[in-house]
Amino acid sequence: MLGFADPQRVLRRRGVVFVAWASGWLRLLRFGAAAVVAALSPSIYNPATRAVVAKQIYFTAWQVIPGFVLFVAALSAVIVNIVDATARDYGLSQYANEVTMRVLVLEIIPLIAALFVSLRSGAAINTEVALMNLRNEIEALARAGVDPMHFEFVPRLVGCVVSVVSLTVLSCAIALLIAYLGVYGFFLWGVPEFTRSVGNVFDAQITIGLGLKCLFFGIAVGIIPMGEALAGPREPHVAPVTVLRGMMRLFFVLLLIEVASLAFKYT
Amino acid sequence: MKWVTGDAERREALAEHPGAALVSAELPLRANLSALENIALVPQYRRDLDWAAASAEALALLEQLGCAECAGKRDAALTHAERFQVKLLRAVAAKPALVVIERPGYLLPDSHYPPFVDAALAALQGRYGECMIVDYAWNAPLYPPR
Repeated sequence: MLGFADPQRVLRRRGVVFVAWASGWLRLLRFGAAAVVAALSPSIYNPATRAVVAKQIYFTAWQVIPGFVLFVAALSAVIVNIVDATARDYGLSQYANEVTMRVLVLEIIPLIAALFVSLRSGAAINTEVALMNLRNEIEALARAGVDPMHFEFVPRLVGCVVSVVSLTVLSCAIALLIAYLGVYGFFLWGVPEFTRSVGNVFDAQITIGLGLKCLFFGIAVGIIPMGEALAGPREPHVAPVTVLRGMMRLFFVLLLIEVASLAFKYT
Repeated sequence: MKWVTGDAERREALAEHPGAALVSAELPLRANLSALENIALVPQYRRDLDWAAASAEALALLEQLGCAECAGKRDAALTHAERFQVKLLRAVAAKPALVVIERPGYLLPDSHYPPFVDAALAALQGRYGECMIVDYAWNAPLYPPR
């Protein structure tokens, strides 16, 4: 009949789509688990792998520090001023420090660091691994006796994790400094009150939570682009779709980690 | 020599030697590494050599084959002959018992390849055990009698 699709066929089609979607996530999880286990095995860090890891850390973390730090400093200054002015307007200036730290240091900066590394390195990793897969370079390496996991994947994963964690730590330190300067100016009389606020916010649970969140962000930024690129079909015209899918999945996972972290902290 | 008449037969011939060091158009060089780095990777990973020792070994291999000038070139900048030589050196870098060169005509499309392949193999004598060339039967007249 016109206008009515066969419900059985619709259900079957939905089922096929769901199975493909679920198997994609399963494949990604399997690859991620293998890469994380490999990264945690000291035996893989031979001189060659160490050299590639150092190169990855240089390109992913070290090279971007000046630009990222400047950006974070500007962003922090704006947010500190907004929070401080709003708190004063409502007569809640005693909470300004704590609110700034909770919003800026615990939530915004780690997410921005992860998104920054995703856009800068995640997209490049996704494209490069997709091209390697397309050109059969991965099999060629394996056939020559060079394990691609050691030479290609683990160094990128370690580079991303180190990059996200180090950029977050550095940016948080700068944001704290700017928060202090924004509220108290270039004077030392606010130090005891400020450090008390820092102590109140960064209790053990919050600090461990922040560390875990950064770690998961780093793992996601490293794993998802590679996993998606490896799963893509070996056809040149599909490469852009493979990269797009990897970046979308990465964006979705980063936001999911952020939401889970918020839910864990505030419920 | 192993003569084949089609793709299925070629795959069968390759499957008979899964552990052999393979030189094939289907196994490209790593595009973002130079020729020297592509060869040095093998001793670096298989024998845990540091970069200095592995690159010295790779350079010695390139010099032995007379193509040291391509050491710094990446895959896209190599000629067909240079690419074949680098692939062959990557294959022999691990001192394999058997090297299989499959469809050399596909790797060296712009030259009379049998003498070129023979000269390369002769220059690397002692770096590998045996060598097997897998080629299409209709190319047999190109090869000198063995």
